Amino acid sequence: MEAQADHLVMLAVRDGDVERIGVLFDRHHRMLFNFFLRLTANRGLSEDLVQEVFFRMLKYRQTFQAGTNFTAWMYQVARNAHLDQTRKHRLEIVPDDEKDWGNVASADLDPHEQMEQTQQIGLLRRALAKLPLEKREVLVLSRFQNLKYGEIAEILDCEIGAVKVRVYRATRELSQIFYELSGEKAS
Amino acid sequence: MNCDEVREQLPEYWTGALDETARSQMHGHLAGCSTCRAEAETLGAIWKKLGAIPEERPGRALRARFEATLEAYMQGLRQAERGPSSREKLDKWLEGWWPRQPAFQFGFAMAFLAIGLLVGYSLTRNSSGGGEVSRLREEVTRTRELVALSLLQQQSASERLKGVDWSNRMVQPDPKVLSALLHTVNYDQNVNVRLAALDALHQSTSNDMVRRGLVEALDRQTSPMVQIALIDVLVDIRDQQASSALKDLTQEAGLNPEVRERAQWALEHLK
Repeated sequence: MEAQADHLVMLAVRDGDVERIGVLFDRHHRMLFNFFLRLTANRGLSEDLVQEVFFRMLKYRQTFQAGTNFTAWMYQVARNAHLDQTRKHRLEIVPDDEKDWGNVASADLDPHEQMEQTQQIGLLRRALAKLPLEKREVLVLSRFQNLKYGEIAEILDCEIGAVKVRVYRATRELSQIFYELSGEKAS
Repeated sequence: MNCDEVREQLPEYWTGALDETARSQMHGHLAGCSTCRAEAETLGAIWKKLGAIPEERPGRALRARFEATLEAYMQGLRQAERGPSSREKLDKWLEGWWPRQPAFQFGFAMAFLAIGLLVGYSLTRNSSGGGEVSRLREEVTRTRELVALSLLQQQSASERLKGVDWSNRMVQPDPKVLSALLHTVNYDQNVNVRLAALDALHQSTSNDMVRRGLVEALDRQTSPMVQIALIDVLVDIRDQQASSALKDLTQEAGLNPEVRERAQWALEHLK
């Protein structure tokens, strides 16, 4: 049997079949967790935020309209949850220690290459963390979350053209930070 | 395509989202513009490197937390459908009386203590007057009955409602009051008064006359609201006699479909 599309499941949740939100949790919790992890670099906080997103989806289920793009709606909820969280805790979120993260290097590399890749991933994470939030957000949405520019425009409530410019600028700034951190010179 | 357009389209170029025309325009521009070519190489390298950041798995506890939240939410929904329990209503009502200021709370507590002491003192002093107290109680009950009965006969529906309310104040209403209430359920013109009387009778369903009266009342009702309320009372008191009256009701032509459905549900429950 073909799986029911996300927006149809959400419409069922809206109309009282609340338990079916479990289907959406199964499909999206990991993606959302990684979205938050790339924004906050903090596992515990990211798990809390995933929890918050599904709670808000239940709380505001009546606002989900037929014809709405579910993915864009979900990321809007996620983005608001993250913004509220940053407003609430104005202090900088402490990123996790890198050793708390999973084994990052590919297993098919030799030990030397593995070490190099681990180091590079660590640098990339630090560079991402240094990027201003709005740039980090647009970069994460376009690079990691498999979203189309049209969906990102809907999530950020702007034109597609503006998304393209923002992604380009964010990549450029990330590149500068990365090469500064690594001591290499960006061309 | 100028330099700005090319740069803005670089991420789409890397993800393969550009169409054939835009791709060839991009290639053409990059071949002839060394600045854009260098930029495309540097940024392309970082874009590719980002792909090495692996996807992480959340902890297992996340699912358990989600399931607990969902369960709590569903329980909340079920509770909201049922409305607040009588205990919650009482708590809320009492809370409304309790002052917010600690000084007033203290004052309240002291006043209650003083009243308690006074009542205790006067009761122990008049312990010989037990008979008098019970006579007084009887008199109060009789007065209440009279008030209830006379109010139930008033023209105004709100007065009759007050009459039902008075009958509620009696611990064990007199048969006269009970039959007046049954009369109200059967013949009062106002639906609200009939419903209130039905509620009042619900507390006296241990009385055979009341049970019989309620079963008989079923085929006299015309308002679906009262019919449904009556069916619910009959199910609640598990009256076996009600089954045949309910069967007759379901066979009535022109019966409200919701009432028919409720009656069928009731028959299932009484089996």
